[in-house]
Amino acid sequence: MAADAEEEQVLLVSSLRQWDSWKQLQREEVALFSTFAVLFVTMVFFYVGKVLKRKVSNTILLVGLSDAGKTTLFYQLRDGSAHQGSVTSMEPNDDEFILHSESTKKVKIKPVHIVDVPGHARLRPKLDDFLPKTCGLVFVVDALDFMPHLRSAAEYLYEVLTKTVVARKKIPVLLACNKMDKITAHSTDFIRKQLEKEINKLRLTRSAISSADVTSEISLGVEGEPFKFSQCVNQVSTAEMSALNGQVEEVERFIREQVKP
Amino acid sequence: MLEQLLIFTRGGLLLWTCQELANSLKGSPVNALIRSCLLEERAGDSSFQYDAAGAAYTLKWRFHNELGLVFVAVYQRILHLLYVDELLDKVLQEFSLVYSPRRTEFHDFDDTFRQLLKETEANSQQKRGVGQQNPRKVIEGKRQVGHIEGKGTKSAGRKSSGQTLGGDDEADGDADGKAKVFGNGKSNGKIGNGVSVRNANGNSLSGSSSDDDSIMSKNSHETAFDVSKLKLRNSKVHGKKGVNPLEAQKPSSKEDVGKKKQTKKNRVWGDAPPPSKLDFTEPRDEAGQEGPDVVPIVTDQGLSLMDKDEEDDGDFEVDLEEDSAKEIGDGEKKVPTKKGWFSSLVQSVAGKAALEKADLEPALKVLKDRLMTKNVAADIAEKLCDSVAASLLGKKQGSFTRISSTVQAAMEEALLRILTPKRSVDILRDVHQAKEQGRPYVIVFVGVNGVGKSTNLAKVAYWLVQHDVSVMMAACDTFRSGAVEQLRTHARRLQIPIFEKGYEKDPAMVAKEAIREAVRTQQDVVLVDTAGRMQDNEPLMRALSKLINLNEPDLVLFVGEALVGNDGVDQLTKFNQKLVDLSTTGSPRLIDGILLTKFDTIDDKVGAALSMVYVSGVPVMFVGCGQTYTDLKKLNVKSIVKSLLV
Repeated sequence: MAADAEEEQVLLVSSLRQWDSWKQLQREEVALFSTFAVLFVTMVFFYVGKVLKRKVSNTILLVGLSDAGKTTLFYQLRDGSAHQGSVTSMEPNDDEFILHSESTKKVKIKPVHIVDVPGHARLRPKLDDFLPKTCGLVFVVDALDFMPHLRSAAEYLYEVLTKTVVARKKIPVLLACNKMDKITAHSTDFIRKQLEKEINKLRLTRSAISSADVTSEISLGVEGEPFKFSQCVNQVSTAEMSALNGQVEEVERFIREQVKP
Repeated sequence: MLEQLLIFTRGGLLLWTCQELANSLKGSPVNALIRSCLLEERAGDSSFQYDAAGAAYTLKWRFHNELGLVFVAVYQRILHLLYVDELLDKVLQEFSLVYSPRRTEFHDFDDTFRQLLKETEANSQQKRGVGQQNPRKVIEGKRQVGHIEGKGTKSAGRKSSGQTLGGDDEADGDADGKAKVFGNGKSNGKIGNGVSVRNANGNSLSGSSSDDDSIMSKNSHETAFDVSKLKLRNSKVHGKKGVNPLEAQKPSSKEDVGKKKQTKKNRVWGDAPPPSKLDFTEPRDEAGQEGPDVVPIVTDQGLSLMDKDEEDDGDFEVDLEEDSAKEIGDGEKKVPTKKGWFSSLVQSVAGKAALEKADLEPALKVLKDRLMTKNVAADIAEKLCDSVAASLLGKKQGSFTRISSTVQAAMEEALLRILTPKRSVDILRDVHQAKEQGRPYVIVFVGVNGVGKSTNLAKVAYWLVQHDVSVMMAACDTFRSGAVEQLRTHARRLQIPIFEKGYEKDPAMVAKEAIREAVRTQQDVVLVDTAGRMQDNEPLMRALSKLINLNEPDLVLFVGEALVGNDGVDQLTKFNQKLVDLSTTGSPRLIDGILLTKFDTIDDKVGAALSMVYVSGVPVMFVGCGQTYTDLKKLNVKSIVKSLLV
């Protein structure tokens, strides 16, 4: 801004000199011209700054319902340990780091920015703050306690998939089925199919109330066909993991696909 | 006893739990605390009650906002632990010294915690001990007599167990100057059982030596307990440790308070021996000093005496710090009035170290007033401000920000959090699910008179019909004349079947028959209109409770005017309360959602929405905003928050 001011001053001074020599009639014209010049220069500066600032985003969001295992996954990715366990998050966990499994490598690796967004319904608006700079979404699903939470999980996933940013930027989504080490955990196929079925139903009922709240109407899938994740504009894949035991290789692979080392 | 003490980050990572108190908590009280208290902007409360199968806990918490830490203590509700607050404060203070964001293991904090726990426990015992000395001594005296009458060794064993429990024995020990040293020594050496046993032995021996005289005669010649003596002794004890007189005065003033309590307590102990017999300590003390056996004990406990010294000093430090903090706080309160604009400018550029209550106060007051002008109920505005203050205290303020904007941002976040529905408000989804199960989806509209139940029922019906759902109305307002006709008119206009049974019928039965009819004709949704009733009208509320309990509707919608202020809160709480009170079953149905009517009449005074959602915790499902059937909207949370804070 200081530079701008200086320039403005220089211009003003020069225009003042011109005023002395030039006739009265030209005075207003020059003033107008100098104003435009200053404005133009300022705008160019801003634009250049913006272009330079923009870089490839490396943010991966961990989303999902409460108790799905997002915080555990976050610390598993960062420190390779779940530490002493976790409780319901009140704030996002937000850190930029090199994945723990890669920390032993000698080569210089690009760090990943991972954000664990709390799953509590009241904290979900926070998601919007992070989405614009996101390049990958990991939707964590509790495979063990899946059926009772099917509806809410599907609703959340639907919400995420219909966000304008997600659809427009085609942010890839990974359905990470957590707690797969347990015997009674559901299979990834089952979970995917159930979620598809639920979202299919949601498609009909959502987009209902006439309201000012609905700012973005993104319709999922193809009209008249049962919903499949393959119909989404963005790539939706599934993975198995067990955050508590540290089996997170598939998630790490997904992250590295989005954020090249 | 304390069940558990946890330290975790706001992000949810557990940093430290007490390993020794590894009691497995039943249920998940901490998660319940976070979900239903801290995230609901009720952090300004002092405690949280958690009920689960076979467990009833009370939870207390502290925030360290600068470091983003939460400290939670869990204890059984039946135990009214008085030291928890003090303990939490101390733990917070100590832990913030060792905390660093990159560390995740704090095993070395175990020792510190153990010490803190002991300190605070001893402290509270001491306070209580002074307060309730006489009655305690009665018990103690009695017990001792009993012990001595039995076998000496046995009594020692029993006593030692009593001491390891750290119960009233300690309090008793505190009573007399000499034994006070013992008492605290005991509390320190609790882990070393042997020491306490020996000490107990000494005590019982001293007891038995005094037992040589007949107990009864002693009881009679004992003088009543003299508080002034105790004061003197205490001051002596403190004086020995080279504490400045100011500090020594403090405990004694505490004891003054204790003295007052003591006289009160005396009367309570009706079935105990009369006051003249209360003092058992004096002779025992003397005897203890006389008895040769006692000497080794004193040497044995030398170390704990040192410990005690340290502990006391620690306490005084805390006291001192508290005092100085208070002084600083007072000073700062006065200072800002004198501060010129320049210093405030410097402060705004440099950023403030940590926000204090005094800094937040003016900004919060402005915000509270603004909320109240927007029609938010007074006590709810108050609670919200408390909660926001709790979330900001101790936080670092960034440079180039004003306190008022910081507070405003925090409030905005809080409001957004409150108004964002916890559960899905997608009624159509629920309707489809009910349809799959082959039953109609029943919605009951309740509310006080004249808020627009029937009108908005018609609007909801219109909206449902538009989304290919077959709807039936049930005219269960059998109270007000013209109500059935009104509904019939709506039904005719919307081409919807209506179920009516005229007036003077039991609404619960009408609703039941309506549902049966809907099942028969395969309707998807039944909208039940009820009579308007004031929340204090007992007979009508009973009828409503019956209707709801009998028919088990899928959704109980409370229809409320957006115009109300404080009364809206009252209505909603009373409705909920009556539904609980008058319910015959164990798990009463409560209000599931709110329909806010006359929203077009209030301009920007949207406070009722916030009050109602905050007080009930249920979302606003619909908003009625006009006279025609199409004037039904979803609540736009963001615009509400905006208009609340403008």
